[in-house]
Formats: sequence, structure tokens, C-alpha cells
Amino acid sequence: MSAQNSAGIQTLLDAEREASKIVQKAREYRTKRVREARDEAKKEIDAYKAKKEAEFKEFESKHTRGNKAAEDEANKEADAKIAEIQEAGKKNQDKVIESLLNAVWTPASVPV
Amino acid sequence: MTAFIKQEATEKANEIEIKANAEFSMEKSKLVQQETDAIDATYQKKFKQATMSQQITRSTVANKTRLRVLGARQELLDDIFEKAQKRLSEATNDKNRYEGVLKGLILEGFYAMNEPELKIRARKADYELVEKAINSAVAEYKDKTGKETSATIDDEEPVPEGSAGGVIIIGGNGKIDIDNTFEARLDLLRESALPAMRKALFGENPNRKFFD
Repeated sequence: MSAQNSAGIQTLLDAEREASKIVQKAREYRTKRVREARDEAKKEIDAYKAKKEAEFKEFESKHTRGNKAAEDEANKEADAKIAEIQEAGKKNQDKVIESLLNAVWTPASVPV
Repeated sequence: MTAFIKQEATEKANEIEIKANAEFSMEKSKLVQQETDAIDATYQKKFKQATMSQQITRSTVANKTRLRVLGARQELLDDIFEKAQKRLSEATNDKNRYEGVLKGLILEGFYAMNEPELKIRARKADYELVEKAINSAVAEYKDKTGKETSATIDDEEPVPEGSAGGVIIIGGNGKIDIDNTFEARLDLLRESALPAMRKALFGENPNRKFFD
């Protein structure tokens, strides 16, 4: 009877051991899953950030180019206007100087 | 019996696994959501700053070029006034013409002061002409207004030699003076002549709205 009993108890003990191994494996799986969540999240976050950074850099470089183009355009316009002014000056200078001198030399003689 | 124990263990293990997967999904999406929101906020700020700095740059450039053009205009005007200044004394070359000019300048002083006795300051070299001019001015004044007036040359304080010509009329007991020297008249024109000069040099201003 006792030999049978110890064999029986042994079997039960073995079964318990197997059972706790199964549960233990499940618990390890759970821990692994938590870690995986963090790792995968980090990967997704980094990818998102990189995408945003690339968008931003594109925006910046587009506007730097735009600015430079605008500045060159503005300078060209200014140069043209300045050339115009100097032309006008050369053409009309003498006339204007004559008018000024006449104004100096011709008093407005009217009674107040 | 052993089958029962194993069965229980397997069921428990399955529960744990299911919970683990659910936790995985929740935790992952929570982290991702949190961080991407933060990233979005940061980049929104960055974009706004970049846009603002771009607007500032554009505005600065526009200003700079505008100033360049205005500077060129100013240079031209200064040049014109300088040239005019150099030629101021030309009127003194023709004595008759110069006497006429002096008479006009003195008459201007008479009309403005409206006093019976005035002093005139002039260049020493002009005294002779000025005397004659005073006489004609006094005559014309009487003619145009019916009033008497007189003027004497203040030879204690002549107009400095460097001047191009013209006179200064003193009245009000020596307290009021009208500077009718050529330089002073040109100086007044530096401001008052600008609209006419602008029109003569550059044409009308297409943007101008007020003409009173």
C-alpha cells in the first residue's frame, strides 16, 4: 500500500512541478510583453520624430531658398530704380539747378 | 488527477497570456500617443518660429532695398544743391542785374517789416550798389503802399566776404532780421523746393493721395 502511495505522491509532485513550470512560463511571457511594448513604442516614436524633423528641414530649406530669391529680386529692382534715378538726374539736373538759382535771385516783390 | 492539475495550470497560463497581450497593446499605444503629442507640440512651435523669422527676413530685405533707393535720391538732391551753391555768386557778375536783385530783396524786407526805419547789412564790396538799390526800393515801396520808409547800411556789421551776395534787413530795434543773403535763400529752398524738384526730376508720384 505504501509503495503504491509513494508512487502516487511522486506522480502528484511531478505534476505540480510541471504545472508551476507552465505558469512560470506564462509569467515570463508577460514580462517579455511589457518590455516589448516599451521597445516597440520607442521605435515608433523615433520614426515619427524623424519624419517630423525631415518635414521641418524641408520647410526651412524651402524658405531659405525663397528668401534668397526674394532678396536677389529686390536688389535687382533697386538697382534698376537707382539707375533710373541717375538717368533722370543727368537729364534734368541742369534745368532744376537753373530753377533753384532763379528762385534765389528773384525775390517775390509783393506787398504783404 | 495529474490531468486535472495540468488542466488548471494551462488555464491559468492562458489567462496570464491574454492579460499580457492586452497590457502590451495598451501600454504601447499609451506611450506612443503621449510622446507623439509632445513631439507635435514641439514641432508646431518650431514651424511657427521659422515662419516668423522668415517674415522678419523678408521685411528686412524690403526695407534695405527701399533705403537704397531713397539714399540714391537723396544723393542726387544733395549733389544738385551743392552745384547750385557753387554758382550762387553768378548773379553778382552783371552789375545792373545784381542791383535789380538787391532792390527786390530789400523791397521784400520792407514789405515784411512794415517799419519806417530799417538797417541793411551787406558785403562791403556791395555797399555802392546797395545804396542805389535802397533808393529804388524806397521809391517803389512808396509807390505801391503809399507809405514812407528808409534804410541805412549798417557798416559796423557787414555780411562776411565769403557770402555769395544778398542782404540782411534788420528791424524791430535790431531784434528782428530777415536773412536775404543768397545762401540763406538757397537753404530755405532745400525744403520748400522739394515737391517741385521731385516732379521735375522723377515725375509725379503715382501713390500720392493728398494734394492740399
